[in-house]
Amino acid sequence: MKANNFIERSIVGTLAFLREAIFSQEIALQNGFLQSLDPRVKITGFLLLLLKTLIACDLHTLFFLYGICLLLVLISKVGPGFFLLRTWVFIPLFSLCIGLPALFGPGDPLWSGYFLGIKLVISSQGLFGALIFVMRVLTCVSFVVLLNITTRHFELLKVLRIFKVPQIFVMTLGMSYRYIFLFIEIIQNTYLGIKSRVGSVICYRPGQRLVAWNIVSLWNYSLLLNQEVYKAMLSRGYRGEDLAWSDFRARGRDLGWLAAVILILWII
Amino acid sequence: MAGCGYFNFMDNLIFELNQVYFSYLGRYPALCGVDIRISSGEKICIIGANGAGKSTFLQLLDALIFADKGSVCFRGKELNEKIFTDAKFSQEFRRQVGFIFQNSEVQLFCPTVKEDIVFGPLNLGFEKGLIQKRLEMLIAALNIEDLLERSPHQLSIGEKRKVAIASTLIIDPQVLILDEPTAGLDPLVTRNIIDLLIQANAEGKTIITATHDLHIVEEIADTVYVFGRQKKIVKSGPAETILTDTQLLQENNLVHIHRHKHKDKVHIHPHLHLDHHGEDA
Repeated sequence: MKANNFIERSIVGTLAFLREAIFSQEIALQNGFLQSLDPRVKITGFLLLLLKTLIACDLHTLFFLYGICLLLVLISKVGPGFFLLRTWVFIPLFSLCIGLPALFGPGDPLWSGYFLGIKLVISSQGLFGALIFVMRVLTCVSFVVLLNITTRHFELLKVLRIFKVPQIFVMTLGMSYRYIFLFIEIIQNTYLGIKSRVGSVICYRPGQRLVAWNIVSLWNYSLLLNQEVYKAMLSRGYRGEDLAWSDFRARGRDLGWLAAVILILWII
Repeated sequence: MAGCGYFNFMDNLIFELNQVYFSYLGRYPALCGVDIRISSGEKICIIGANGAGKSTFLQLLDALIFADKGSVCFRGKELNEKIFTDAKFSQEFRRQVGFIFQNSEVQLFCPTVKEDIVFGPLNLGFEKGLIQKRLEMLIAALNIEDLLERSPHQLSIGEKRKVAIASTLIIDPQVLILDEPTAGLDPLVTRNIIDLLIQANAEGKTIITATHDLHIVEEIADTVYVFGRQKKIVKSGPAETILTDTQLLQENNLVHIHRHKHKDKVHIHPHLHLDHHGEDA
């Protein structure tokens, strides 16, 4: 692969990331603590933890909740390095950037200095506010990622339907997931088809044109697929109703998890 | 059976199409004057070249699309958009007619195989006990137990086809419509599907299949209908009569001139996939 082949690197990289991020169920299939719980009870517990994180205004509480999250990571056989990388890369780093100006807000001066001739004062209130903000985002993201990677995708969707989330919303989510995979395959095959006809190197400008054509054909294909899928649904009696097949079974361990979450939230 | 009052079960006639026309976007004709009568318990095959209107015809039978001109009747009731606004009629029709799509990808849209299979009966108001019983029966018949908790996109083409068939068979429809059921499958899965269709027909179900696969036609059809370039039925008759009419098959792109070599002898003859090696052996 040529080092300057931006199009190829983008396509291959994006597709590899999507496959890894969305479709890998390796962790959800591990024999860990969270994986062994009934998804309905597990999600209820996580929702309570998220709610507490969102309303917590105390830094210690947030640190404690983040600690619980990391403990769950360890007992659920999730690699800590993988988890930290996954949770720290995007949203918390962005929130750090967003929270940075808050450091210089009004309040008791904690530190002052000059940067490019401008006097900067970090206030203790500003630092506290920024830390609360970053910790809250980090803890929320960590809980959501942990829930997502330790639960199989279809179980999440099934629980949403059991919790009476509107069918159209759950169906759209499920089908997006399903057809993203199909489209990844189509994009990859189309790209290989193009490559086999034009050679191994696609220059920047023709490459842009090819990507544009690809987007158009993908759009047409998705429209067609949309119609066909709808027909297939109609054919089996679909009338837009909320119907789910639940075969989950709650056991002692699940109730223990829920009781532990409620107890922890009660104490803090 | 709820909703049975809609249909005439006294008559043996299931589908009756009179001078049916259909075009896509009002510009691209797909069917031009189709007449056909299909009786209960029949097994029929629709053959024809690509673009002859086979899939469109099947979709009309399943009331997924409606005729521009002419009439399509199911058990004496004309199928049109208006009648399908009646939820009970729609439910009853869907309980009686099952459709297996050519592209299994479009038929499998749920997160897991199991949910896909039970999607139909859940939507058609079947009781959970009955669904569970039929599910267990199909799992054993199609040997798909290992697939149940998997996502449909992780399956092979043959597995997808099996699941698509299971998702229709679980409804236990009286009429089974299949669009190219064996396309792209290996011989073993093809054989399984043929056996399944033969068994379903023996149980009294009406089987309507569109296929290019001429070597399965004789087994899955008593009557064969040939769709021509004119986008209508150009000939119909018993499978053995149609399949031996080489000129008809050639005119409709269903066979081609085939040249091959046996040891040092070169043969040139129409390629029918019907024991052609036996003739020259």
